[in-house]
Amino acid sequence: MAEATGWRNLQVVDDWAADVEVFRGVPWGKAMMWIFLLSDTFIFTCFLTAYMTVRMTTAEPWPNPSEVFALEAFGVPVPLLLIAIMTFILITSSGTMAMAVNMGYRRRRGPAALLMVITALLGASFVGMQAFEWTKLITDEGVRPWGNPMGAPQFGSTFFMITGFHGLHVSAGVVYLAVVAWRVWRGRYEKQGYDIVEITGLYWHFVDLVWVFIFAFFYLW
Amino acid sequence: MAADTGQQHPISVYFWIWALLFVFSAASYTVDYIGFQGYMRWALIIIFMMLKAGFIVAIFMHMRWERVALITAILVPPGALLVLVALMAMESDYTWATRILYFGEDPAPVPLPPPSH
Amino acid sequence: MAVEAQVPYQEAIEVHHPHSWVTKYWFSQDHKVIAIQYGITAIGVGLVALVLSALMRLQLGFPDTFDFIDPEAYYQFITMHGMIMVIYLLTALLLGGFGNYLIPLMCGARDMVFPFVNMISYHVYFLSVIVLLASYFVPGGPTGAGWTLYPPQAILEGTPGVDWGILTMLGSLAIFIVAFTMGGLNYVTTILQARTRGMTLMRMPLSVWGIFIATVLGLLAFPALFVSAIMMLLDKTIGTSFFMPAISSMGETLDYSGGSPLLFQHLFWFFGHPEVYIVALPAFGIVSDLISTHARKNIFGYRMMVWAIVAIGVLSFIVWAHHMYVSGMHPWFGFFFATTTLIIAVPTAIKVYNWTLTLWRANIHLTVPMLFAIAFVITFVMGGITGLFLGNVIVDVPLSDTYFVVAHFHMVMGVSPILVIFGAIYHWYPKMTGKMLNDTLGHIHFWVTFLGTYIIYYPMHYLGFVGVPRRYFANGEMAIIDSSVEMLNQTITVAALIVGIFQAVFIWNLIYSYFRGKDSGHNPWKATTLEWQTPETPPRHGNWEDKKLPTVHRWAYDYSVPGEEDDFVPQTVPQKAVQAEPQSAT
Ligand code: HEM
Ligand SMILES: [Cu+2]
Repeated sequence: MAEATGWRNLQVVDDWAADVEVFRGVPWGKAMMWIFLLSDTFIFTCFLTAYMTVRMTTAEPWPNPSEVFALEAFGVPVPLLLIAIMTFILITSSGTMAMAVNMGYRRRRGPAALLMVITALLGASFVGMQAFEWTKLITDEGVRPWGNPMGAPQFGSTFFMITGFHGLHVSAGVVYLAVVAWRVWRGRYEKQGYDIVEITGLYWHFVDLVWVFIFAFFYLW
Repeated sequence: MAADTGQQHPISVYFWIWALLFVFSAASYTVDYIGFQGYMRWALIIIFMMLKAGFIVAIFMHMRWERVALITAILVPPGALLVLVALMAMESDYTWATRILYFGEDPAPVPLPPPSH
Repeated sequence: MAVEAQVPYQEAIEVHHPHSWVTKYWFSQDHKVIAIQYGITAIGVGLVALVLSALMRLQLGFPDTFDFIDPEAYYQFITMHGMIMVIYLLTALLLGGFGNYLIPLMCGARDMVFPFVNMISYHVYFLSVIVLLASYFVPGGPTGAGWTLYPPQAILEGTPGVDWGILTMLGSLAIFIVAFTMGGLNYVTTILQARTRGMTLMRMPLSVWGIFIATVLGLLAFPALFVSAIMMLLDKTIGTSFFMPAISSMGETLDYSGGSPLLFQHLFWFFGHPEVYIVALPAFGIVSDLISTHARKNIFGYRMMVWAIVAIGVLSFIVWAHHMYVSGMHPWFGFFFATTTLIIAVPTAIKVYNWTLTLWRANIHLTVPMLFAIAFVITFVMGGITGLFLGNVIVDVPLSDTYFVVAHFHMVMGVSPILVIFGAIYHWYPKMTGKMLNDTLGHIHFWVTFLGTYIIYYPMHYLGFVGVPRRYFANGEMAIIDSSVEMLNQTITVAALIVGIFQAVFIWNLIYSYFRGKDSGHNPWKATTLEWQTPETPPRHGNWEDKKLPTVHRWAYDYSVPGEEDDFVPQTVPQKAVQAEPQSAT
């Protein structure tokens, strides 16, 4: 547009003013995944807001997460040890996922599928550790969704609800990754291209992103 | 869609971010380990959290390389959530105060004004 | 970063034509079939809600007459009526029904971007309706907590349906939200990424704009309901205390402690207020198109209308606590939320002015859709003005929980969208079936419905002023209640029954005209928008000719353009050479 002036000079205005599509060159699936993640952000934020509210309004003491989630290592209790490991695992899985996307776009489908499988395995181990953490909390510390010996009953309620919902996301992601990895491996996307790996990746990174917030607000508050 | 229009960036970028995420996670863990409290704790935790979140979204999710139209469409709506969180924080303080006022034990009791109705 | 102008992907897509009855009408991936499935299901369940309202009215008009309506049953009626009307009828019909039908046609797409997901969306919605209606067959019947479902009372003894009904209700809502999300993602992505050549956002008909922003609101607001439904389910089933404070009920101290009922109210209305606009915005959009088409005049201030829709959408997320002035929330909130509420009235008023100015000195054709459209404008102004009353804390406090509120929300989010839906059905039925709806029956239906609703809701404002409380099974001998109330209540009930029964005329018209109606041709209203330019009526699966999508050259409102032969110029007609605008967008 030669005579574009003022407003229309801005790329963003031009994009929104275009015909056919607003997000130029963005495949449908990717646009839809982004919008879904936006909606999911609202779900998680509502959960976290509810957690904030009950925590701030309770008149009972809130158990100290860094003690509750401590683990013995070499005979000394290390605060949040398992959580730290889980965090590192999830970050690592994000790294392998990012590389899978890269390999996909380079059309190296073997490495792409392999990296996705590694990502899924890391995700599965995350869920496994979470199961361990839950078990320990329930059996050793006596924390239940409706109460616990250390203070406000909302500690257990919000903990199980939020990590549970996040854990469901991780589990769904593991399945999703496994399915896509299988199809990549079989060469199903050779014709249409490897956007699908990026789309799966978006979901996976989002799950990691949510964990960043849970880590900060639940465990470190 | 042609496949080569996708997001392609040197692998080294991912390694860098990966390392940074490790560092920030370790840093926020240290905040807890050392036992900072109060504003210091909150400031550090939130800074590290935002840095991590920012890098994940910007680099791993490729937001940095998307066109502004997509960036705005995704990043603007959560503003509504900030309003929700801020107001709920105020609300919670108020609820807590009324709970202490009516049911709790106030460390420094002030006599209640006589009921007006 | 120049990207070449895109060829719409859908141009080349071959649609797979189904053959068996099941894939054609039940598991169909055609957005038009899905739209009609949504429409029929929503209207069906809406009729249930209508019957429930008739039962409530019978009780209110003639207390002590009907043995089978006890207070418990009344609360169950009220809850199911409110919830069905708002969610399962209006939201589903406007977005699932009209959204599905109109978006691809009006944007010039072959279908939604992911037809399979779209199909699943309907079936999940259907499941949510089944679960909801199952409430009536579980022990104890449906919940009677009111459509707002406020805890603690919603899950405590004394509320009807506390054992099972509340579970089916919450479960059904969660399922509905899943269904809506699948559909909604499709609508938004289709509008953003799959329009045809020349169809810029600022050339989209306002119907699409209204549906678009409403869907975005839905995707961002339903999460709050979803989250609160889950937390309430947990409170109810495993005894967490998210919303439940320490409480004793019926002489017994319960195990709950420390939860916050206010939290539920905030989350609920963080969803609930946008929800009001989820049903209002599509109606706003559709009515704009009806008015413009049937007044043979371009919509006044198109850009302003678009920005008003967007502004209302944004603001609707920061007004929620105007439903909570009497809840005991933070005392400063009243000021904040009253201010934002009054601000949101500005774009809303702009829309009303623009509708009125569109009608001003227009060539108005008083067709049935137009009658409904005008009725909408009048009714919406009524409901909007009482909204300004209720938006102010001081005025709201005495009016809260009275019939004034019932009158207000029925006017603004009950009757108004319903009038638009009727108008829209009269308007688009010819495209959906190829037949015109019968005009005489249409007129009868219109006048009874329009006048009837005024007899029903007008007096309710007065009832509210004299203090008749909302959600009361019977007023009994309350001293505050004026003697005029009884007679008015009877009048309202009679009117409600008549209006309810006359909806049969409408249903009959839909069925009768399908078989015996006049052929409509492709474009009976001489409208400009794309859906009227399809090569076939009803449009086939895939909407347009093979390998060829329409190209759009102008906005949707070229009616009565000076110098043109016809009084309308379809969007597909190129601009005359002199005024040609540069076509390439980049
Ligand atoms: C002929 C049509 C209708 C009649 C006669 C009718 C009648 C009633 C009655 C009698 C109540 C109970 C008021 C009370 O006792 O406090 C009520 C409540 C309600 N109605 Fe309607 N209604 C009609 C249509 C609609 C529509 C179209 C909507 C869609 C928004 C709607 C939404 C509601 C809601 C949300 C409630 C509140 C339920 C509650 O308090 O939990 N109604 N209606
Ligand atoms: Cu509202």
